[in-house]
Amino acid sequence: MSAGRSTGWALIALGGALCAGIGARLLLGRDPSTGNWIVGVPEAEIALLRFGAVQSGVAAGAALGLSGLLLQALLRNPLASPFILGLSAGAGLGATLAAWLPIAAAGAAAAFVGPDALLPGTIGAVGVLLLVFLLGRRGGVLDPLTLVLAGTVVASMCGAITLLVQSMMPPTSRGELWSWFMGQVPELPRTIPFWNTVAMLVIVLLVASWKARALDVASAGDDEAASLGVAVGPLRLGLFIGAGALAAASVALCGPIAFVGFMAPHLARALLGGLHGALVPASAVAGAAILVWSDAIRQGIDFGSGRLPIGVLTALVGGPVFLLMLRSARLRRGDWSC
Amino acid sequence: MLTIRNASFAYSQRRVLHSVTMQVEVGRTCLLIGRNGCGKSSLLRLAAGLRAPTDGSVQWCGRETSAIAPAQRARCVAWVAQRSMLAIDVTVRDVIELGAVHGAASVSAEELLHELALEPLASRRFHELSGGEQQRCIVARALRQHPDGGLLALDEPLANLDPAEAVRVIQALRRRCRKGGVVIAAVHDLALADQWADDIALLDGGRLLAFGPSTSVLQPSTLSSAFGCEFLARSGSLALQLPRGA
Repeated sequence: MSAGRSTGWALIALGGALCAGIGARLLLGRDPSTGNWIVGVPEAEIALLRFGAVQSGVAAGAALGLSGLLLQALLRNPLASPFILGLSAGAGLGATLAAWLPIAAAGAAAAFVGPDALLPGTIGAVGVLLLVFLLGRRGGVLDPLTLVLAGTVVASMCGAITLLVQSMMPPTSRGELWSWFMGQVPELPRTIPFWNTVAMLVIVLLVASWKARALDVASAGDDEAASLGVAVGPLRLGLFIGAGALAAASVALCGPIAFVGFMAPHLARALLGGLHGALVPASAVAGAAILVWSDAIRQGIDFGSGRLPIGVLTALVGGPVFLLMLRSARLRRGDWSC
Repeated sequence: MLTIRNASFAYSQRRVLHSVTMQVEVGRTCLLIGRNGCGKSSLLRLAAGLRAPTDGSVQWCGRETSAIAPAQRARCVAWVAQRSMLAIDVTVRDVIELGAVHGAASVSAEELLHELALEPLASRRFHELSGGEQQRCIVARALRQHPDGGLLALDEPLANLDPAEAVRVIQALRRRCRKGGVVIAAVHDLALADQWADDIALLDGGRLLAFGPSTSVLQPSTLSSAFGCEFLARSGSLALQLPRGA
């Protein structure tokens, strides 16, 4: 089978997985009294809610998948993702501060405005990314494991500061923020975060597709890339901002959701190989498919305290995948193939 | 023409090149020899414009190589690393085509696959290849980028190659020289250097110890002083003298 043909089939397979996930999320439900699955076309009101969840899941999942791909490509690190490198935590901290500052300024009686702030979230995400990038260098060279460790530590620190800020908020605001922090795919997505995510996704998708060949070349390291005609510095800075903005947009929409940005590029790479011309759209589709499927599956999982938060489900699935990758000998010698 | 004038270079505080001056004319092959860590790779990076000298100048065709924008430089200068850091999982053909992203070569990937006998490997994954096969693939990528009359800077291009493949790569590089190009490469095989080079630059501790035709540079006394071991001239060629009992 020719390369072009197999790429076409792989893209169709990913698109099919996304469509199937959308179908599952729209048609699958759960009877609250018996706990049994219900399959079928729901009433109009419920259908609208499910459609809203599909919109949120597709937008946030695609943003996370594309953000993860850009980070893995530009850091030359297959372990990179918005969650693992602390971008989600940085975005969460920025959004929490943006929510808290008006309350702090107006007094405890002020209403909680919600984690809508895209700009503070983007500043938080990009700021954390630059910090982790600096901390992840050993002897002037990016070290994959040091980078991951730096991301983990910075994410923990951001998480601690976020908890501190939350503890200073009124209890009503705190409860809403906590559930947002466990990850939620909103059935009634707020207008600004949703359209922000869509706009960021379209812009970064177009720019990344335009720069796909440069991303291929950049994967050979800074010196080899420069000798092949690509100045990695400006490319890295531009697409870092794009990856940070996507992570912040998805966090503003759905809260921090673990491992989707890590798994989606690997799934796309396993099906399509390593060239970014196909990987850029495929990672976005894979991210959307993973998040929509996760949201559909979690409808049927209830431990007595309501449906399983989506961030918990993706962490339970993505965590072992990450550990397997970490232990992979092929990964340690720099081979990204799945 | 590659012109290096009083070029020095340092990584942070560590100076690795001291006032190197040499000139490589169009159509010639200059091989860099010397002990490990003597500055061959750094000099190649300067020649390829990947680093700017801390003092002095490195010019290709009258222009400071490091001052040329990467996309423009890729159309006249190609560089091969000691070991490729390519991190994506792609085929040999895909790797060679990376040379065409900004390059200006007149030869296609198919012609290069044939020239370097890589045709049977064309659809194989780059990371599944042996070290020598990967090296040939990276040389092919540089040739895909390289225009007629350009500069090729290669860091140990024959590393891990068997004799037949080494000859094939040397022939391919000689063809580029005949078309008006310049080849500058680091090598460790002195006997091969003797046969291949038009000029040889012998480096020692970041300094240019000798530069010129192989007959003048590859003298046992000169080499012994640079490498710290004994060489013998035997039947018109050089041989390493092993210490007794080794």
